[in-house]
Amino acid sequence: MAIFNLKKREIECKVVYYGPGRCGKTTNLEYVFKSYKKQVTGEMVSINTEGDRTLFFDFLPIGLGKIKGCDIRVQLYTVPGQVKYSSTRKLVLRGVDGIVFVADSLEVRREKNMISLKDLQSNLKEYGKSIFKVPLIMQYNKRDLADEGIPLMSIEQMDRDLNRQLKVPSFPGSAVKGTGVGVTLKTCLMETLKSLQREFKWAK
Amino acid sequence: MDISLQIKSLLNEAELYRAQGLFPEAKDKYHAASVMIHKIDKLKNKDNLLKAISGKIQSLEKKTEKVETGPSSPELSEKGQNLIKNLFGENDLQKAVALAKFGQFERAIVELEALLRDDVYRVDAGKNIIRCKMAIASVDDAIDQYHQWLAGDLFNGHQLESIRTYLQPIIDRKGIDKILPVPVSEKDEINTGADSGGIEFSMPEPEEEILDITSIGITFTSGTHKGKMVEFDVNFQSGGTLSLIISKNDKGLIEELKKGDDLDDIQFYSPIAMFKGTAVVANKTRIDTGPKQGDFCLDLKVTST
Ligand SMILES: Nc1nc2c(ncn2[C@@H]2O[C@H](COP(=O)(O)OP(=O)(O)O)[C@@H](O)[C@H]2O)c(=O)[nH]1
Ligand SMILES: [Mg+2]
Repeated sequence: MAIFNLKKREIECKVVYYGPGRCGKTTNLEYVFKSYKKQVTGEMVSINTEGDRTLFFDFLPIGLGKIKGCDIRVQLYTVPGQVKYSSTRKLVLRGVDGIVFVADSLEVRREKNMISLKDLQSNLKEYGKSIFKVPLIMQYNKRDLADEGIPLMSIEQMDRDLNRQLKVPSFPGSAVKGTGVGVTLKTCLMETLKSLQREFKWAK
Repeated sequence: MDISLQIKSLLNEAELYRAQGLFPEAKDKYHAASVMIHKIDKLKNKDNLLKAISGKIQSLEKKTEKVETGPSSPELSEKGQNLIKNLFGENDLQKAVALAKFGQFERAIVELEALLRDDVYRVDAGKNIIRCKMAIASVDDAIDQYHQWLAGDLFNGHQLESIRTYLQPIIDRKGIDKILPVPVSEKDEINTGADSGGIEFSMPEPEEEILDITSIGITFTSGTHKGKMVEFDVNFQSGGTLSLIISKNDKGLIEELKKGDDLDDIQFYSPIAMFKGTAVVANKTRIDTGPKQGDFCLDLKVTST
């Protein structure tokens, strides 16, 4: 849950990048770290296993400056994708305020996207949260691979697979190239702050 | 499509999946390519090509195995551990428990042992040491630890009893036939029955039914927060009584709660399970001194789970 210090007019909230293994969550965060120097307020920490797989999570703190008189700080996290780290995913998800679901556009990863979204839903449920109510943004990543003749799903198909019921904002992206990374995060932050405002009325 | 183009495109895909760490997908494509190559009769360097592909498949299998059999929570660097402490715990106990949750048991034990010196944290630190020992060693180690504490004088009888009632059900659940000795001073109290503490332990609802609860989510069923669920960390637990420290900034959330109120929709989170239940407000007090001055202490008695 977001931490409010209304006296100092500070808010610290938590955004988690979720999605199947190897879909590009860490790459998203790396791009944010490289490209938003002004907003980044600390080191990006990645806890990896051998072979650059995210083991526990990546962490990157950013600051948005003052919004409606409140100093907004955001902690960005990614979760590990491999099935065996399900308890870590749950720990990292605790108290989440906003979520970016990164889906892999590769045709061969179609089912993995759906399994991961289902996993997100059930983990949220265990925290008493509904996937329909939590601020959630989708990113259809790796769109750049279309140029290399690798079979990708169409945006329409991905919307049908993942977003038919949820109807959340979705963006195509290429985390390695940086396309769509900024708009995904910005939209997620906007939704997150709106939802915190509805709940806690922090902005005057 | 020309068959050689098809093969080229399969190999291209396989190579990309391999580079992205998608090993099973890469393997599938290499297989498909080699099936196709087999079918072509006159291909100049057919054997070499097939050999190269099978080499790729073998190396993928090795990599897959490495990923799958790698430890799920290896020992992290001190920096990584410190980050976990700071991100996932507010007080010293939570910080140590966070380490344990991320599988950093050795370091967690070191930190928990330091907390044994602290009156406030001693029992919870003890229980968590037991939990860590079971995770890295065995139930026997946990039992040994209990015996060591029983022989020493770090814990008083009451505190030890709390640890015993935590550990015994775990031993029982595992089907191990061992009965932990009841601390002497507790035995006396139960026998004389003079002290209210003693009577409490012989009550029909034994404390041991309650798991260690790390946090709870209260869904308010009335008042201004009706329908809203709010998560609180459990700062202390003694059997079925949970104490939450609620920061003065959040006091609005509990303003309408008073002693005796029933909370009918609570989600309990414990390291091994999550469950729903009910509780009654046993106490609500403002902390008047110390670093938490102005915060509230809310005691909840768990009534059913
Ligand atoms: N072509 C391409 N590759 C990507 C993209 N995003 C991530 N990758 C690659 O996919 C692999 C897995 O990315 P990573 O960020 O570690 O995935 P995570 O498991 O979700 O954190 C890496 O090899 C990345 O370089 C993208 O947009 N396009
Ligand atoms: Mg990662």
